[in-house]
Amino acid sequence: MFSLDKTITVIKRELKDKLLSKTFVLMTLLLPIFMFGILGFQTFLLTQESDEGTIIELVSENEEVLNNIQKVFQERTFIQNGYYKVGYSQKDKDQLQSFLEEKRADLLSDKLTAIIFVPNSALENKDVEYYSKNPNNRTVFDKLRDMINNALVETYFEDKNFSQEEIEFAGMRVGFNTFRVSTDKDAEEEGVGNLIAAFLFTFLLYFSLIFLGTMMMRAVLEEKTSKIVEVLLSSCSSKDLMTGKILGTGITGVIQMFIWLLPVIVVITTSVFTLPQDFNLKISMGMIGYFLINYFIGLLTFLGLFATVGAIFDNDQDAQSGIWPIMMLIMIPFFIAITSQNNPDSALIKISSFVPFSSIIVMPARMTLVEVPLWQLLAAVVINIATFFGIFMLAGKIYRVGILRTGKKPSWSEVVKWFKYQY
Amino acid sequence: MIALEVKNLTKTFDKIVAVDNASFEVPEGSIFGLIGRNGAGKTTTIRMMMNIYIPDSGEVLLRGNKVDHTFKDNVGYLPEERGLYKKSKVMDILLYFAELKGKKGKDIHKKAEEYLERFELLDRKNSKIEDLSKGNQQKVQFISTILHDPEFIILDEPFSGLDPINTNLLKEIILDLKKQGKVIIFSTHLMDFAERMCDHITMIDHGKIILKGKLTEIKSKYSQENISLNYEGDISFLNSHPLVDKIEDFGNTTGIRIKDASKTQELLKLLVDNKVKVKRFDANDISLHEIFISLAGKVEGEQLTAGVANV
Repeated sequence: MFSLDKTITVIKRELKDKLLSKTFVLMTLLLPIFMFGILGFQTFLLTQESDEGTIIELVSENEEVLNNIQKVFQERTFIQNGYYKVGYSQKDKDQLQSFLEEKRADLLSDKLTAIIFVPNSALENKDVEYYSKNPNNRTVFDKLRDMINNALVETYFEDKNFSQEEIEFAGMRVGFNTFRVSTDKDAEEEGVGNLIAAFLFTFLLYFSLIFLGTMMMRAVLEEKTSKIVEVLLSSCSSKDLMTGKILGTGITGVIQMFIWLLPVIVVITTSVFTLPQDFNLKISMGMIGYFLINYFIGLLTFLGLFATVGAIFDNDQDAQSGIWPIMMLIMIPFFIAITSQNNPDSALIKISSFVPFSSIIVMPARMTLVEVPLWQLLAAVVINIATFFGIFMLAGKIYRVGILRTGKKPSWSEVVKWFKYQY
Repeated sequence: MIALEVKNLTKTFDKIVAVDNASFEVPEGSIFGLIGRNGAGKTTTIRMMMNIYIPDSGEVLLRGNKVDHTFKDNVGYLPEERGLYKKSKVMDILLYFAELKGKKGKDIHKKAEEYLERFELLDRKNSKIEDLSKGNQQKVQFISTILHDPEFIILDEPFSGLDPINTNLLKEIILDLKKQGKVIIFSTHLMDFAERMCDHITMIDHGKIILKGKLTEIKSKYSQENISLNYEGDISFLNSHPLVDKIEDFGNTTGIRIKDASKTQELLKLLVDNKVKVKRFDANDISLHEIFISLAGKVEGEQLTAGVANV
């Protein structure tokens, strides 16, 4: 009973209705602004140094250590310009106790941020003590850690007859310069560009699947409750209608996604914008193409599910409670994909990039972070297409029964019975 | 000539029999009424006729051939609860529904404008549906039902919510369509409306067809056993009289159903003998409503043994 003409008519209407709608235009424009807004806001928060006016009493048991710390500290601009105010004193452990008592009120009233005590034992184990109302101040630790380390190293090696260079080397931290190894290129130095891209892909998938899915559910619900569906079904079959709606929305989604990815495409294909070395993107047009195809298949699958939920229920409230299983199918892979940034080669990531539904969200993130063999990419597509057809058949059966049903909220067991209905 | 033949249709939902072995014929060029109260099975029957539901058993024949999905292009359906996209513009929705029926292009556009003009809606053609009054929305819905020039027009309670002027306008158009040879099928629970518009009817109750045939023939058959009476006095003695089958008070008139159609004169004599002042005694009139009550009332208690009353 499938009629191509009618399906195309429905697709055309969906496209016209969606592409020209205010919501679509707004969403398409606002999402990037929103995302960059968040990024910008985060950067703003980070640069907004909240540790200005930090006052520290640095207490050392050892005079030499104290002098070295003082020397290292005073080379730094943030100490020189009074950004941090540091007082230095030499005290032993007993004196420290009375000093702490004396300063307790200041510490509690924020007149003093912290007292740092460097005991003699620090020259053996590099453990220092930090006394503060807020003992988890990472900003302060990160600023002072290397400096105290350097002072300790200097003191330790001072009478051991090492050159200044050797001492400096001992005080250095290990830095990881990351290189991506892939089959077709020489090892290339890699920045955080792909990490950001993976996050971007994951977020865009998550967001638009839920956004378009909910929109689809509402549209089906509207047709059902307003009885438009009765008129529509007197003209075409439920299969024509569902196929048309899903394809129409699916095409809209891909167009929208393409618009969102335009900046990325421009960056990787032209030299209009050059990113700083650290943000260098290792993404090919092939990957963008794969991403869009993967998105299209995934979107169709989820739209089928959301349309079914819209057809089962006859009011928004009941439908909201009915979509949580589908939401889980989007949210769990989303979180898996987010963690993939820690170790994209973990077994969890590998497996979930082939599991139906989760593959749609996880595979693009994985592909962006590590090189995935072509056969695996293709296998994921095949699995997703198979899932789509499976879902489409099941959804079609529920849809055609549900869409004409009104009255009390059906139970899941009733819905299962609908499969057997001959409508 | 039979245009549509419904043969032994049965449809069950979750053990509830919505339509039970229903058979009837819709003659060519007729205004056909499918009558029954709410929940009797009218909509389910219509949905099976339009191939929206697949019947559990039975079939629908269009001029001798089984209906298939192409039949949908030939039907215009006005559902009882109107459905239009609220945010769409009048013209857009008319063209969309017509295109779904396989009709598009300039001609349809022109025709849509003609209908809009006839319904005094041409100036609203670019308005959104939600900005129209309820009556105007119904007019748009009706236009969408007939715009693609279908051969069969199925109207479910078409006049509900229309004011008298628009009701007349709609009637005019329906009669016009009948003149053009279209088959018009009404589904309604309003008996007196069906009585005025339809030439053939089928009554359905609890999923079963309880009466079908040409309206005039049905009426003449049932009227012979029915007398409508206006009187002054006391007729309670008739309640258990062997001549009388049933007495029904319709307010203004009383309907008396006698067991034997040839005993009309005896009843009149009985009334006169008992000093009842007879103001009107009509042995040749019965409303569809009365027929329905007399038939469906029976079904209520026990199974209707006579089966389909065929006229």
